[in-house]
Amino acid sequence: MSASRTTLAGRLARMGFADAARAGGLLLDAGLGGPAAGLDTGPETGPADGLDGDAVVAALAEAADPDLALAGLARVLGAAKDPGALRAALRDEPDFRRRLTAVLGVSAGLADHLTRHPGDVGVLRGTVSRPEPQTLTGEMLAAVQGTANQAAALAAAYRRRLLHLAARDVTGAATIDEVGEELADVAAAVLEAALAVARAELPTAAPPCRLAIVAMGKCGARELNYASDVDVIFVAEPDPSSPRAAEETAALATASRLAAGVIGVCARSTPEGGIFPVDPNLRPEGRAGPLVRTLASHRAYYERWAKTWEFQALLKARPVAGDLGLGTAYADALRPMVWQAARREHFVADVQAMRRRVEASLPARQAGRELKLGPGGLRDIEFAVQLLQLVHGRTDETLRAPATLPALAALAVGGYVGRADAAELAAAYRFLRRTEHLLQLHRVSRTHTLPEDPAVLRRLGRAIRISDEPNEPSLPPPVTRADPAAEFAELMSRHARQARRLHEKLFYRPLLEAVARLPTEAARLTPDAARARLEALGYADPAGALRHIDALTSGVSRRAAIQRTLLPVLLGWFADAAEPDAGLLAFRQVSEALGQTPWYLRLLRDQTKAAERMAHVLASSRYATGLLLRAPEAVAMFGDDAELVPRGLAALRSEMMAAAQRYWDDAEAAVTAVRSVRRRELLRTATADVLEAADLKATGQALTAITRATLEAALAAAERKVGGELRQPLPTRFAVIAMGRLGGHECSYASDADVLFVHDPLPGQPEKLASDAAHAVAAELRRLLALPVSDPALRVDADLRPEGRQGPLVRTLAAYRAYYRRWSAPWEAQALLRAEPAAGAAGLGTQFTAMIDEFRYPKGGISSAAVREIRRIKARVEAERVPRGADRARHVKLGPGGLSDVEWAVQLLQLRHAHALPGLRTTRTGTAMAAAVQGGLLSAEQAAALAAAWQLAARIRNAVMLVRGRPGDTLPARHGELTAVARLLGYPPGDAAQALEQDYRRCARRARAVMEPLFYG
Amino acid sequence: MDRQVEFVLRTLEERDIRFVRLWFTDVLGSLKSVAVAPAELEGAFADGIGFDGSAIEGFARVYEADMILRPDPATFQLLPWRGEYPGVARMFCDILLPDGSPSYADPRWVLKRNLAKASDLGFTFYAHPEIEFFLLRERPEPGARPQPIDTGGYYDHTPHSTAHDFRRTAITMLESMGISVEYSHHEGAPGQQEIDLRYADALTTADNIMSFRLVMKEVAIEQDVYATFMPKPFTDHPGSGMHTHVSLFEGEKNAFYEPGAEFQLSKVARAFIAGLLRHAPEITAVCNQWVNSYKRLWGAAERTAGAGGEAPAYVCWGHNNRSALVRVPMYKPQKGNSTRVEFRSVDAACNPYLAFAAILAAGLKGIESDYELPPGAEDDVWALTPAERRALGINPLPQNLDEAINAMQDSELVAETLGEHVFDFFLRNKREEWHEYRRQVTEYELNRYLPML
Repeated sequence: MSASRTTLAGRLARMGFADAARAGGLLLDAGLGGPAAGLDTGPETGPADGLDGDAVVAALAEAADPDLALAGLARVLGAAKDPGALRAALRDEPDFRRRLTAVLGVSAGLADHLTRHPGDVGVLRGTVSRPEPQTLTGEMLAAVQGTANQAAALAAAYRRRLLHLAARDVTGAATIDEVGEELADVAAAVLEAALAVARAELPTAAPPCRLAIVAMGKCGARELNYASDVDVIFVAEPDPSSPRAAEETAALATASRLAAGVIGVCARSTPEGGIFPVDPNLRPEGRAGPLVRTLASHRAYYERWAKTWEFQALLKARPVAGDLGLGTAYADALRPMVWQAARREHFVADVQAMRRRVEASLPARQAGRELKLGPGGLRDIEFAVQLLQLVHGRTDETLRAPATLPALAALAVGGYVGRADAAELAAAYRFLRRTEHLLQLHRVSRTHTLPEDPAVLRRLGRAIRISDEPNEPSLPPPVTRADPAAEFAELMSRHARQARRLHEKLFYRPLLEAVARLPTEAARLTPDAARARLEALGYADPAGALRHIDALTSGVSRRAAIQRTLLPVLLGWFADAAEPDAGLLAFRQVSEALGQTPWYLRLLRDQTKAAERMAHVLASSRYATGLLLRAPEAVAMFGDDAELVPRGLAALRSEMMAAAQRYWDDAEAAVTAVRSVRRRELLRTATADVLEAADLKATGQALTAITRATLEAALAAAERKVGGELRQPLPTRFAVIAMGRLGGHECSYASDADVLFVHDPLPGQPEKLASDAAHAVAAELRRLLALPVSDPALRVDADLRPEGRQGPLVRTLAAYRAYYRRWSAPWEAQALLRAEPAAGAAGLGTQFTAMIDEFRYPKGGISSAAVREIRRIKARVEAERVPRGADRARHVKLGPGGLSDVEWAVQLLQLRHAHALPGLRTTRTGTAMAAAVQGGLLSAEQAAALAAAWQLAARIRNAVMLVRGRPGDTLPARHGELTAVARLLGYPPGDAAQALEQDYRRCARRARAVMEPLFYG
Repeated sequence: MDRQVEFVLRTLEERDIRFVRLWFTDVLGSLKSVAVAPAELEGAFADGIGFDGSAIEGFARVYEADMILRPDPATFQLLPWRGEYPGVARMFCDILLPDGSPSYADPRWVLKRNLAKASDLGFTFYAHPEIEFFLLRERPEPGARPQPIDTGGYYDHTPHSTAHDFRRTAITMLESMGISVEYSHHEGAPGQQEIDLRYADALTTADNIMSFRLVMKEVAIEQDVYATFMPKPFTDHPGSGMHTHVSLFEGEKNAFYEPGAEFQLSKVARAFIAGLLRHAPEITAVCNQWVNSYKRLWGAAERTAGAGGEAPAYVCWGHNNRSALVRVPMYKPQKGNSTRVEFRSVDAACNPYLAFAAILAAGLKGIESDYELPPGAEDDVWALTPAERRALGINPLPQNLDEAINAMQDSELVAETLGEHVFDFFLRNKREEWHEYRRQVTEYELNRYLPML
């Protein structure tokens, strides 16, 4: 034939063998294949039985891993008593051929077994059908009869059953659900036989007892894996038929020996390999508890002490071996308790904690490789289903199925989960289970991690397609064999995508159905069930929450439609933040204000990130929420990272000036426009702070820039207005000097604008006219910024001026100089340290600050009398200014080690040393501290202690404002509020509140220890 | 733990217990008690019992008075005194905040936190105290002088004496509460007794000391006498201390023991002692927390100089030197696991939870920072002249509460050990005590100055 030049290796490679050269050798050695139609097999050609050989080779090539299958078959043939008969059977029985090659193509472990027991290939011949559980039990019991090594015999019988099942599994004759059931049945039969072995090993004098083995977990739910622990619980009672029935202790001792025996038999390592680990640790008290208990003792434990997760475990309890009457009594006694679990006091907290535990593992892990524990993995799906069962199973008995897939189906039928969602999740779950099964079959070993080896992925891809389940809707038709590994990866990621949005689908989306008004065919969540679920998810007012959900999703508008899609996700995000209820309410308010705006709906629909940010901000910060609700269109900024960066002074100035300019003839309208820009910028800054925990300095600078730009724009409007009323250009130059935190670029959310006003009459202008005009400008500026409009007011505080509130609001440069020369008190010099031009006539502000330098940086430092006076004032402030009844140590502004301790200490250094150390001539606390270290006035350690306390105190003040929407200078008194503040500052949950308090008090104590000698001398 | 809870509930039934006292300790070491009926107990184990923390010394945070007591079932014990029927039992409690997190103000938690730190380093901390106290004829009325019940001295055995009966009854009672007694005898001063408890882990020992003080008071009442742990009730007799033997174990192995080393002391032990010495002044306020404590430390000592003054007021260590602050007891061959060091300044009126936490922290600091142990003192430190002591680098402990407070307030170690809340409260409270004391005009002044001025 013309193909005679084709080499065997080449042909095999085309058939799918990866190592064709080795495969060729193996075929020859095993007496398989041979010179099929024109194959050039070289000189050592075997019997020319081409066609038959070809059928076996073809079957091997069909296997998931042809090389593995061939290697396995070669070993089996090598071990077989009559290889010729086996070859003949392979040749003559297509079904047998297909089963054997398919099994060997996925499992080296079962090939090992067949090598030890070549005769076991027999179980794959003829009609192969699902065995009855009794058959299995009989088989296992028979296996341990009359043999020396009972454990080995049992292990061999167990593996024979795995072989039988695996063959049907990988050839598509058994569905994944059936496989799980049968594995559980096999495990039950093994347990029964192991119990028989243990019983035979008892001393004859042992007092008799009844012992039931109750399977839990996957075995209990009949959804077992090929290789996994079998979770069990042992229940024992004295044997009533025995004369020694009264001796409970003695009977329990016997039962303990039996239980330990069962575990031992299954764990023993034998030449046949082990069986499976029997894990009794789900029992009451776990490892610390007794191995066996009486029924009454079990019941008492669950009545009194069991935790929520233990009830969750009981969901799957099923008697499988030993005294089935006792086992059934156990199940009947405990089952009702499972459904009372949701009434237990800590249920909600427990569920929250369990949910957090599951979700906590989501982002960090690498998706995809961990089939069991990874995000959207098996454990995740099972856990979510069980939680819903516990929440709703109390009132709805149809939900009480032990296994995951039936339970998921029941949840869908009852309307607790959407039908399509349930179907998709079930498909994902089946896929993951199949993959897990195939991985475990390979060596018959426990593994849940997907290797990265492309050869393994190829095997999986081929195997999954071979046994493709007909009822799996989401799988594509097997079109090509081009790249099974890639195909598998594609399937994997598709299912992972489905499973990853699991909580949204299972927990939240059905809540919307509860309030849907349109009649639907399918069942849906009842309002009661919806309330129960909201409560379990952390909403404090479920009835209110349902009303909001209703309002947000009802109707046929486009908005309602989009919100129906979005809300399930949002509800989850709200639940993760400090105040879910507040978040939901605020969302409703925003939505009602903006619902008709097309860009808003687009934003929500298309930008997950924007929606997530909005949810987080709404449910954690009342301050930001308040600002947002004043003009909801600002949500636009959530959609763009660049929008969340606070703007610089120059940009703010030009936007605010432009806004003011638009209303050049109407000062009130102009400043209203300016203030609305200010409100938007405050929201931007607060949002960045909430979302990113922005650094203190950046926040301070952003807030300072906002205030200064606002002052500038408002001043321009005020000057224009006063000039207009005078019908002449302003007869004086006017400037605003920033003081306090504004001057120091350290504004907090709650800061007023501390300022001084200075003016300088133009040459030739009457002094009175100039002064009146300047006063009018200052008064107008303050009035405009305090006008009651919808945006927050900016209080302009000029109380630091000479003579305080008694003094004139504005003075000339000369008057200031004269005053400071003649009267200046030490505290005024101290206040001037932070003076900096903020707005108004170019040059005038600089003239002012140049003028005051001689007072704030006096030659030789301030006098010792002045030092004494400043210390005295500080001491009095410490004693008097903390509100009565407040805990001084918790006062972050005036308490020991608080803001004012640090600032006064630094300012005193400036007053004494700035004349000699130019670096100290700054309005900023941090810069001054650094200069003091440079100048040798402070050690680096001292500065670090001061800076740590000062920064933490300022961050706490900002966080208090963000959380509460009201300013506060102390650590919040309410534990819940303190927790929210601590969480906003990045403390992990648990004891966030006390950890923050501990940190602050430590910093403050250290700062005070530095400040006392430094300041008081 | 759950099994222990079952045991507790079963015992309540079987013994017909009608009241369970839930015990906890305030920051100053006073025992506090809430009585609950057994029916409440199940709830108490699960959720704790709410109480108003603002009434308790050192818990007071006015703004958040709601606190929770959660009994520790491992500490369940029947109370044996007064032949009460139906019986009464007690359990020590942990104090929690409403959200279930431990309260930083709870002394028991302070100790637990420090033990956890030791455990992170692989150590278990054991302690056994030698508790001294006086038996007085009756509870003194204000202004009256205390009258000791006898005139006995060291190890005196007077037939049929009250003290003898007292010790026998008290020890029986302690044993019946599961508190093992190692040793007991008449101490040096009239009416003064010493009872040594067997060593146990520090938390158990601290619990035991709380029980011990109450048992002594109860037994005294039964016998119509009065027991006091006041450190120094008599100007002319020695005071009552609580020498505390401590050791660290790594698993089953005594980490202080190293065969062949000097005094069989391991490197760990030497660093631990060095830590105790270096930080002794800082932790003195915690170990000797009352104005009166310093009368014991500095009171009788000068006159007993040379006769082995019992109060260790100078910071030094010595091998079997009873005048040193830290004594390394005579090593007993074949008993490697009994290697320990004795810290002798503590008095029995301390808060044992805080004192043990402070001692442990000082020692661990020595281990973590690898402190060098100074040479040991071989002489009676009291017999040295001040110049000799200075030459040897032996410094005094604080002379009074004020000095002790000042030493403590600069201590980063004590602040970390106690936590900021307890640290701050303790200092404030002690400063108040000192101010209150300082303004008193004492009997001494009246007797001395009135006649002459």
